[in-house]
Amino acid sequence: MRLSDLYFLMPLLILVGAATLNMLVVAVKRNHKIIFGITIVAHLVAVFTLLQLNGSSYQIPPFFVMDGWGIFNLGLILLTSLFVTLLSYAYFEQREERKEEYYLLLILATLGACVLVISQHFMALFLGLEVLSVALYSLIAYLRTRERSDEAGIKYLILAALSSAFLLFGMALVYAVTGTMSFPEIGVYLKSVTELPLLLLTGFGLMIVGIGFKLGIVPFHMWAPDVYEGAPAPVTAFIATVSKGGMMGLLIRFFSQADAYRYANLMLIFTIIAIASMLAGNLLALRQHNIKRLLAYSSIAHLGYILVAFLAGNRLGVEAVSFYLVAYFITSMGAFGVVALLSDTERDADQLEDYRGLFWRRPATAAIFTAMLLSLAGIPLTAGFVGKFYILASGVNTQQWLLVLMLVLNSVIGLYYYIKVIAAMFAQTEATTERRKVLHPALSFASGATMAILALLMVWIGVYPTSLVQLIRGLLATFMTTF
Amino acid sequence: MNTIPMEQGLLLAGILFIIGLISVLIRRNIIFMLISVEIMLNAAGLAFIVAGARWIQPEGQVMFIFIITMAAAEVSVGLALILQLYHNLKTLDSDAANVMNG
Repeated sequence: MRLSDLYFLMPLLILVGAATLNMLVVAVKRNHKIIFGITIVAHLVAVFTLLQLNGSSYQIPPFFVMDGWGIFNLGLILLTSLFVTLLSYAYFEQREERKEEYYLLLILATLGACVLVISQHFMALFLGLEVLSVALYSLIAYLRTRERSDEAGIKYLILAALSSAFLLFGMALVYAVTGTMSFPEIGVYLKSVTELPLLLLTGFGLMIVGIGFKLGIVPFHMWAPDVYEGAPAPVTAFIATVSKGGMMGLLIRFFSQADAYRYANLMLIFTIIAIASMLAGNLLALRQHNIKRLLAYSSIAHLGYILVAFLAGNRLGVEAVSFYLVAYFITSMGAFGVVALLSDTERDADQLEDYRGLFWRRPATAAIFTAMLLSLAGIPLTAGFVGKFYILASGVNTQQWLLVLMLVLNSVIGLYYYIKVIAAMFAQTEATTERRKVLHPALSFASGATMAILALLMVWIGVYPTSLVQLIRGLLATFMTTF
Repeated sequence: MNTIPMEQGLLLAGILFIIGLISVLIRRNIIFMLISVEIMLNAAGLAFIVAGARWIQPEGQVMFIFIITMAAAEVSVGLALILQLYHNLKTLDSDAANVMNG
């Protein structure tokens, strides 16, 4: 351990410090505002220290590596978590439960995802994953008086522990064969053998189960709709973005460092998973009347799209994944942010009926939600369109015609259910009673401003993607010399 | 003292893992499901120890300590959730927790 290691791990250390501080403050005095303030400041400072690391590539052997890909993912995760925190305040202020621990758990979950994306060793992977998972169990069941919350929490807990066991057993088998747990050394081993031993293949197969569960891709997606529905809306936003994005970051790091793209059978498994995710996600979303479940199935499909770019297995593919992750994060947060904004003290606004005629009651909210849904559907001038275009380009570039065809076909299917929600929002309804608003105007303004920033970001990336593309390219310059 | 061959150790771990998997799939009592998952996690831990012993490295045992620590954290959260669920549903049957479907 060198002193400079601390400098490069500063964003993570700040999160650790903030979590500890939050815990101590809760012990002294419970105050929602103070905890919220600490959380926001911690995120901002962490992002600031991360900016100092820009352009560096630093190894902290054997566990971590701080390169362009890691910094990109850290930045994405920290900013996403910041936005989720901003959206959470108004949401939890309305509720009776003790709110302070929520931020503590949120910081811990963010920390876990951060460890995940910079790890290059099975132990670091495992620690990051479990910090993220255990924090998520409690976050999902946070509103404990709601029956759905408990149910979602216990379902997620059992299935996540099950998938962790698969992942661990897979890692143990890989370790038994290769004698190392660090990704680059596994890569060295893989280069030295011409044919993979059966035990190693089994290990990789079991690991795919664990990774696939976290990503929520078919056939490991069964938890997604229930957890999305039962969890509080800001937590749902967090699961849809940080938890999945962190795992995607890890997957790409593992594959590039271990150079696992060469194996046709591994690629075949992921191709099947990608196609199944796109099809199942979109087809099952068609018959949903619950917005949160609809978005859950849509996120399964979106992870399928991301896998198409991942399967390209070259620099363009990684760029496409990065861009799509940014676009998907912004739009997912925006969509769940609207759900959080419209939720009342009784339940989350998750029924399609809650959105009927929304445009005539709350035009601004409806406009933002429309924009987010259009971006998810991939309509031009939105971030989602450019992202999808990027993925198509990477797919065409590597001549994966089947995947490209499925992507286009699924985008058309997807359009239907997004438009269905939009149509409901613009439907004329007879005199509806506006929900009672108990929030302080400053609070609803803060949430509104957050949503407006998200919408502006989304349109800006959609209209003028060059700056983001250049940013991603600059960061990826210090990643993957193998390509 | 004879050392155990790696294959036999992994076979034992694999059998334990499958027992855990089958029982988590067929049990309907949530506490038993939790126990079954613990068996699977410990099977993975055993596999790590066997692998560590093969390479004569401490990593396998370090990993095992991590695994039991994580399992303990998981069980504590899990039991708290089960208590809450029992409070709401008055049963531990996992089929009762089916408000959400589709």
